[in-house]
Amino acid sequence: MSTVTLKNLVKDYPNGFRAITDLSLHLDDGEFLVLVGPSGCGKSTALRMIAGLEDITSGDLYVGDRRLNDVAPKDRDMAMVFQNYALYPQMTVAENIAFPLKLRRVPKAERTAQVLQAAEILELTEQLDKKPAHLSGGQRQRVAMGRAIVRHPALFLMDEPLSNLDAKLRVQMRADIAGIQRELGVTTFYVTHDQVEAMTMGDRVAVIKDGVLQQVDTPESIYGSPDNVFVAAFIGSPSMNLFEASLTGSDEPDGGYSLALGDQRLAVPAEVVADRPSLASYEGRPVVVGIRPEHLEDASVAPDHPDDQRLDATVDVREALGAETLVHFNLNAQSVDSGDPDALDDLRDTGRCTARFSASSQARVSDQIRVNVDGRKLHFFDRQTHLAIRG
Amino acid sequence: MQLSRPPIRPSRIALHAVMILLVVWSVTPFIWTAQTSIKFTRDVASKTPVLWGYETTANAYRNFWLDSDDLNMWGVLAFILVVAAVATALGLIGRRARHGWPWFLGATAVICVALWRFPRIWEANDEYDFLVNSVVVTILTMVISLSIGLLAGYGLARYTGISGAVILIVALGFRALPRTAFVLPYFFGAKEIDDWLTSTGVGSWNFPLIDFPGIDTLQILDTRLAIVLALVAVNQPFTIWMLRSFFIEVPKEMEEAAMMDGATRLQAFRKVIIPIMWPAIIATGLFTMLLAYNEYLFVRVLAPTEWTLPVAIVSLTGGESSRTITEAAAASVSITLPIVIVIILFQKHLVRGLGAGAVKG
Repeated sequence: MSTVTLKNLVKDYPNGFRAITDLSLHLDDGEFLVLVGPSGCGKSTALRMIAGLEDITSGDLYVGDRRLNDVAPKDRDMAMVFQNYALYPQMTVAENIAFPLKLRRVPKAERTAQVLQAAEILELTEQLDKKPAHLSGGQRQRVAMGRAIVRHPALFLMDEPLSNLDAKLRVQMRADIAGIQRELGVTTFYVTHDQVEAMTMGDRVAVIKDGVLQQVDTPESIYGSPDNVFVAAFIGSPSMNLFEASLTGSDEPDGGYSLALGDQRLAVPAEVVADRPSLASYEGRPVVVGIRPEHLEDASVAPDHPDDQRLDATVDVREALGAETLVHFNLNAQSVDSGDPDALDDLRDTGRCTARFSASSQARVSDQIRVNVDGRKLHFFDRQTHLAIRG
Repeated sequence: MQLSRPPIRPSRIALHAVMILLVVWSVTPFIWTAQTSIKFTRDVASKTPVLWGYETTANAYRNFWLDSDDLNMWGVLAFILVVAAVATALGLIGRRARHGWPWFLGATAVICVALWRFPRIWEANDEYDFLVNSVVVTILTMVISLSIGLLAGYGLARYTGISGAVILIVALGFRALPRTAFVLPYFFGAKEIDDWLTSTGVGSWNFPLIDFPGIDTLQILDTRLAIVLALVAVNQPFTIWMLRSFFIEVPKEMEEAAMMDGATRLQAFRKVIIPIMWPAIIATGLFTMLLAYNEYLFVRVLAPTEWTLPVAIVSLTGGESSRTITEAAAASVSITLPIVIVIILFQKHLVRGLGAGAVKG
């Protein structure tokens, strides 16, 4: 059992590209930390640096008190699950799982017992004599897990282990992996581009972009109070709606503000302002305002809503998902580019807003609707730095 | 239910006609040779070719295989050892290739019978044993080529820097040159070395460990070593390129997984990568074997007396030799047989080698 500490890790490639900038993280003993980011953000590089498959340009890596920068991968006592599983095709499932033990010269009887135990945990007992080529995707994934858990390593490293599975299996394996990790209590460093995996599996989530760590926190905090525009847009599906808006003081006696969002106005409740005293300094200036789709509701479904926290819109697209209905409309305001390279936003679509209405909403395409905005759940960010406005 | 057959189109007929023509074109010389080996000399020598209806005889084979009035006992002993070694090697390869043992015992038995004593060949010159030369040259060329090719191919597959590309392009360039172009430079080079060995007297030093009986002077020309070195050199670009193309198919994660599991880089190569590569190794080895076993020109020039089988057989037909053309044909058929058997056994791997890319992670 062990803690992991990354101190100012930097990775420079020979061509001058800096893949990781000043990455500092700490994992508690038994913690499940998910590193999430868009493709090409350096998250796999970070994992491979911990594994020893990539050199560390500068900074320190500690497991417990031991500095591991110059230790060979085989001596780091870490087990890794690869995206393509990397099972040894010439070996049976049992031989695959036993391979790490064999390299450590564990006696045969003990080896067999441990393989059986691992197979039991992963429900692979029936498959032990098969070759990887004869296994389904989910079974291969579990063999890769088996190879990792059989050695009782100090640290699990997982590099997008679920991305090659179909959607249904992914949901199941997500729960299985999290369950096994909790059962074994092994510190785990998990890399994914899928924010759903990050939110559901991790004790804590670390969001990374272009090799720079953006925020590390519990899934709830990352979701509830993102540190910057990128994290706000990246976590959550559908993404948070982000617009430029200008903040003006209100005439009302309680000292609230109002937002000019395109050609509409939206009241900012006094309690929101009270929570963010520094918002006062933005008065009369443009800010970035963020609204999560679930904090928008069809006014006809919830009529008891302050009238100054409503927007007018014309429905462009309606997606009925059964439990809820996604409605897209245009707010005629300037959208903000969060910097996520995977996002499909294109500039012609500026002002597009997504709302998650309850299923009882009757809004149809090209209907004129009123949309309730839950003013208490608004997010504010600085327009220049993209940092959250708090405190 | 009736199976639907593809409609017979003119293009299909033409395609098959061309393929049949090609097969006939390449097989005819061998059939001709095989026919010659079972004819009487009068039919072979007749002005109008006798294609069928001739009287057959096994005389040529009988003369060639069994007419041993003065056997070279050392040669026989060496032959038995070589056959034992070949059988063991075949068995090991066979286990890797996952054919059953009976297959290989059977194959080895056939090869043994097919090769059983070429008395005439090793009587042609009392001191040398052409069969042993052939086997030694073939195996050494295979082993050395594959050893270098595996390491170089692996390195070049994993290293993507500019110098790796340069090595590959240079290798390709050498592969593109005709092999014939290398014969004379090798000959003169070897001659220079031999001259130096003689003039400095180094060639006649007695090295305690390599003081083989029957070898008085150290030299390059006219030794098996010369043939092996030359063949390894001309064949190396091919082995490197072919093995590299197989290594590229093996995902990098394979050795990374092994290293995470606790293997050193060398252990990862040996225990994970090489077992995946066996089909590739067998295919590349077979191509190398064919090259070395069939080589004529290099042997003829670099080893004027240390002949291998192809050179020895050609010598049967010409010069002062009193042997008949039918015996030469019988010899040709006999030395082709083992190769044909090996190819049939491993043709699956050969085809995979030709269409490199069968190794999937």
